[in-house]
Amino acid sequence: MEQGGEVFRALADPSRRALLDSLFSRDGQTLNELCAELPGMTRFGVMKHLSVLAEANLVVTTRYGRTKRHYLNPVPIEQVANRWISKYAARFTAALVALDEQVALDHETRTSGRAESA
Amino acid sequence: MSLNAHVYQIYIAATPEQVWSAITESEWTRRYFHNVEFVEPPRQGRPYRTVTADGRAAVDGITEEMQPPTDRSPGRFVQTWHTLYDPELAHEPPSRVEWTVENAGDGLTRVRLVHGNLENSPLTWENVKDGWVWILNSMKTLLETGQPLPRVREDEAVSS
Repeated sequence: MEQGGEVFRALADPSRRALLDSLFSRDGQTLNELCAELPGMTRFGVMKHLSVLAEANLVVTTRYGRTKRHYLNPVPIEQVANRWISKYAARFTAALVALDEQVALDHETRTSGRAESA
Repeated sequence: MSLNAHVYQIYIAATPEQVWSAITESEWTRRYFHNVEFVEPPRQGRPYRTVTADGRAAVDGITEEMQPPTDRSPGRFVQTWHTLYDPELAHEPPSRVEWTVENAGDGLTRVRLVHGNLENSPLTWENVKDGWVWILNSMKTLLETGQPLPRVREDEAVSS
């Protein structure tokens, strides 16, 4: 199953990222609550974006009686991170760590140099 | 921040019966669930207890519902969840873990996990939040490839 494509497409839209951010800060919101949180979006827009997020499995809904609540599902994001990000980020992080060590070393050399000359 | 519930969903390329076994049988759980296994096979209406490989208590509670998946109905495995693996968390009241396992077509099984009743268990709420993501991905990887996620990923997940 090629789920990554759907996830990236869903995350590409700033309105959908705003919805995910809203659920991240307060999970389990109803449609009305999400509309109130994001006054820049129409109710229809919020519904449309939620359905794209649900298709990408990023939002999961549950019903409690007549109330439908929306939850952020972090599982596909972790899958995408495992598959696409950690592979490249590992090298990037290693480079940053090396740079940090070099800067610390330079700093040490400079301060010890000053100490000697003093 | 809502302390009500965590909700997760994952699609696994396996049959509902295979996923059901992975959730309810120690031969499977010990391979993807931090080496945790049931002391006795869980049964509906009975207390259960899980332990780690070295025999330390992990979780206990009551198996409230245990209905395997059929052609017509999803599998339901519901347990109260009292954390024992951390002394601070052990002071918090039991929460509830609900697994729903159903055929999603195309050879896929949809697994939904709701960890609820966490209103009065803020430490458990925080502790399990990312942990379940790793468990679910590890279960998926095990069922689809025969191998769980490598250990290093677990350590990263725990430390983050």
